[in-house]
Amino acid sequence: MNRWRLILEGSWRSLGESDGRISLATQAALLFFLLTLSLTSASIQRYLADNLDQMLGSDLVVESHSPLTAAEETALRSQAQRVSVTQLSDITLTHGDKWARVKLKLVDDAYPLQGNLQIGDTPVATQRAVSAGPRTGEIWLDSRLATQLQVRVGDVLALGGTQLRLGAILFHEPDRIMEGHSTTMRAMAHAESLGSAALGGTKVRTRYLAAADASQQQAIEAWAGKTLPGASVIRKDGGEHPLASFWKRTENFLGLASVILFFMGAVALDMTNRRWLAKMRYRLAIYASFGTRTRTGMLMALGEWLIGFLVAALLAALLAALAHALIVAQMQVQFPGLQAAWHWQPAARTVGLVFLLLLALQVPSLIQLSRASLLSLIRNPAESSHVWQRLVWSFAAVALLAAAYSDNWLLTGMTLAAIASALALMIALTWSLIRLGDLWGRRRAGLLPFAFFMMRRRLLAKSAQVLGLGLCGLLLLFSLMLMRDLGATMEGYGRSHDGNLMISEAKAEQIEGIRRWAGETGSTVRALRPFVPAQLVAVNGQPLFDGSRQPSDTLATMRDPIRLSWTNELPLSNSLTGGRWWPDATEDWQQISAESEVMTDLGLNYGDRLTYQINGKPYEFRLVASHAYKPGNGSITFWFQVPQSARAQFDAGTLYMGSMELPAPAWDGLAALWQQYPTLSLVPLKELTERFDRTLDIVTRLTGGYAAMILLLALFVLAASVSGFSADDRQKNGLLMSMGLRNSDCLRLNFYEWGATALIAACGAVAGTWIAGALIYQAQFRLTYNPDPLWVAGVVVAMVAAVCLVGYLACRRSLKVSVRDLLTT
Amino acid sequence: MQNMIELQAISHHFDTASERIELFHGLSCTIRAGETLAIVGPSGAGKSSLLSIAAGLEVPSGGTVRFIIDGAEVDALTMRANSGFIFQQFHLMPELDAIGNLALPLRLKGNRDAFDIAARWLDKVGLRDRARHRPHQLSGGEQQRIAVARAFVTAPRFIFADEPTGNLDIHTSDSVAGLMFDCARETGCGLVIVTHSEALAARADTSLLLAAGKLELAE
Ligand SMILES: Nc1ncnc2c1ncn2[C@@H]1O[C@H](COP(=O)(O)OP(=O)(O)O)[C@@H](O)[C@H]1O
Ligand SMILES: [Mg+2]
Repeated sequence: MNRWRLILEGSWRSLGESDGRISLATQAALLFFLLTLSLTSASIQRYLADNLDQMLGSDLVVESHSPLTAAEETALRSQAQRVSVTQLSDITLTHGDKWARVKLKLVDDAYPLQGNLQIGDTPVATQRAVSAGPRTGEIWLDSRLATQLQVRVGDVLALGGTQLRLGAILFHEPDRIMEGHSTTMRAMAHAESLGSAALGGTKVRTRYLAAADASQQQAIEAWAGKTLPGASVIRKDGGEHPLASFWKRTENFLGLASVILFFMGAVALDMTNRRWLAKMRYRLAIYASFGTRTRTGMLMALGEWLIGFLVAALLAALLAALAHALIVAQMQVQFPGLQAAWHWQPAARTVGLVFLLLLALQVPSLIQLSRASLLSLIRNPAESSHVWQRLVWSFAAVALLAAAYSDNWLLTGMTLAAIASALALMIALTWSLIRLGDLWGRRRAGLLPFAFFMMRRRLLAKSAQVLGLGLCGLLLLFSLMLMRDLGATMEGYGRSHDGNLMISEAKAEQIEGIRRWAGETGSTVRALRPFVPAQLVAVNGQPLFDGSRQPSDTLATMRDPIRLSWTNELPLSNSLTGGRWWPDATEDWQQISAESEVMTDLGLNYGDRLTYQINGKPYEFRLVASHAYKPGNGSITFWFQVPQSARAQFDAGTLYMGSMELPAPAWDGLAALWQQYPTLSLVPLKELTERFDRTLDIVTRLTGGYAAMILLLALFVLAASVSGFSADDRQKNGLLMSMGLRNSDCLRLNFYEWGATALIAACGAVAGTWIAGALIYQAQFRLTYNPDPLWVAGVVVAMVAAVCLVGYLACRRSLKVSVRDLLTT
Repeated sequence: MQNMIELQAISHHFDTASERIELFHGLSCTIRAGETLAIVGPSGAGKSSLLSIAAGLEVPSGGTVRFIIDGAEVDALTMRANSGFIFQQFHLMPELDAIGNLALPLRLKGNRDAFDIAARWLDKVGLRDRARHRPHQLSGGEQQRIAVARAFVTAPRFIFADEPTGNLDIHTSDSVAGLMFDCARETGCGLVIVTHSEALAARADTSLLLAAGKLELAE
């Protein structure tokens, strides 16, 4: 009983000391961040898993960008128990003078194969489940869409000449998962309601929902892989969620973030640990002087530490639950229906791992503690600080745990390699600089040589400080840089546009209509480029999705047809980045130029043979050049471009994309244009920038929160470093002043010391960042690494200045008290 | 006697990088509970080392040490559980107040009445009104009184004091020494004091002189 009270009192008291508080805050911050991360991650994973189970609407989906031929469809039907065909296209729906871009789904009588649709009579009505889609002549709209168009059940909507009655408000489709994280508004109608002409040929995706048992699923997947090169197959059993890969990339970044945080936390804790160890050794020696066994003393020390951890964990858990709820609320835009829930298992796993980490960091201290002896109270034994053992042990322990946590060995390995080399460099620099400085100053008088002499005396303590600060600087610099570059990449997507309305897709006869309409309303067509939808299916005869390529955004986009444009000269909005552009009016049409980023992402080389499927037929091109977007001359650029002469070869209708400038009054006339051409895809720029801003906003918020976390931990490291070494400094300053050194000299001396420390640390940090950037950027984030030297220099200067300033402040405080201090102890 | 420490033909030395420091060779003596013993000698003679060996903190390089508690021979660990220490630097816990420091050993032993007993001892050393003061608010003499009380509070069989008055002025030394010897006689424990104060040594039942590696009775 008494011992427990003692332990509790001890932990309570340690909260009153700066070391104890820093240690608690660090632990809590680390736990908070990692808990929030794993809770959010678990929520999203749960959401994805649930989705896959309940929202596929069938056992298997085959999705293709061109409808299957009759023979292929027969083959599919023969392999499945039942099949339902749905078609998807982007159209504009109008009602009066209201309009909206809509994803229209055309279903057949068999739809859905599994699950129910949820519908109602008004957007706020109670939902009811039905097991079939709309009847012929009916259309169902989702509630947002109905509200926006101001229609009610029973109203009639016009869709390219067909009259459709609004039959119900659609709340949920059982195959909703196929929409991924799109938030486009949706409409559903029966396939027989519309003539095939109404949708035109463009951008209709066809989905075949199939009911099939496991072996049939396997057979269909194998069959589709062989005979349908452009199609993708999603299976309920063992399939991969379309959103999972998106989340995987995010997790990659967050995993790296946690590894970095692990290290930051470890540095801060190691610094406070030194003081903790000294205190505990003294306490244990005193305990021993009245007959308490070392084991009892150690158990009590461990108990105190444990209580500190529990308090931190409790605090962190409360905060994490709060933060988790907030984040989930934010992410519901991207993941509709995402729920915030407390996930015990991942939370326990995280707390357990952090506990192991902290315990591992504590092991060297505990071993030294077990050697604490009463003798130290009688004589002052030589303090051996075991810097090397501590360093190696801590590094190994943290590395292992970080790897276990992030389960991305390559990434962790790269981070560790960068950190290890930076550490080695800093050790070498510290030793050589201080030793050389001491050698240089041996026969000289003055403060600087003396500063070197003092540092040499305290080489071990000094190295620990330099390493801690340098590591912290490295992590800080790298994270900030990575975030800045990721942000810039995102920003790059929001290219400047000319004109205020994008023609994102129009057919040749629609272009005629647009020109007419533009003449009537005083609008101008700014730019117009032709293209055909083409799907890249193979490179050098190898299927594109044979798993040999690094996953990337680009590769993911290649699952859909991309736009293939033709031109003789290099467009003004492009610059040539490599290879050779074809000569004007060349007859050799099988040449192609790819955007340089696309080339790197897909790992393409000049001379590669690219096979595209255009309107069901294969075409082969030789990669001869690469181009890049050049701002300032319009916003339209294509990933792939071929010579003009290739156009004659394609058996497909030409589509156009371009931009228009509308005067204010012309906007009201847009509805009329759309009514005439429902499949015309026009995107007012306001909408585009809004959509982009929304995504950027989430990314910014995520990285912003992370940056705050990193800065907070860096602050803890700095505080721990100053507080941990302030006792040393105080004694040293007191001695110097008692020897007659003036106050200002003392300050100068300290300034030299902190300056040297910060400079070495900064060098290590920059070198480590460079190594990390070179290793990680390309491999993990598909970014090219070219650091801005000015920016790096700026950060170094800021770092040195910050360290010197904090050191200066701490030193001024210690100068005030140190002489009196010497008298009292 | 039931409690005693027997040193037989003890020798001790330290090996440093350049030389071997020989402290003493072939020392024998017996320390009994209920008696007080002072060890005097010049600085560096090895008094602290001898004390550490007698208390079982250090193992001598030669000779044997036997600890007998309640008539049975025990190991150094058990010996230590039955001894208390008083230091030249006081070594009170800086974060605990006077009564907290006094109660600490009792609480570690699981005594329920720790604070009552501590309060009685505080009374006894005349520092009742300083119960809530922390060490840095107390003078050296006051700190050492508390340290003495702390050593005795658990009623150990032996108390070892290394230069207990080394940091105190003559007047304060006297009162602390008085306190120590009174307590030792009252509780019947063995008290071993290392000192170079003649006055302090004179209070002990036996006074030994350690010089030039030899241990002799001092007159
Ligand atoms: N760990 C050690 N290593 C080397 N020499 C030591 C060590 N401890 C003590 N000494 C030396 O042993 C001698 C005796 O020390 P000590 O027992 O403290 O003497 P005293 O207490 O009589 O002043 C001293 O000269 C001291 O320098
Ligand atoms: Mg001594």
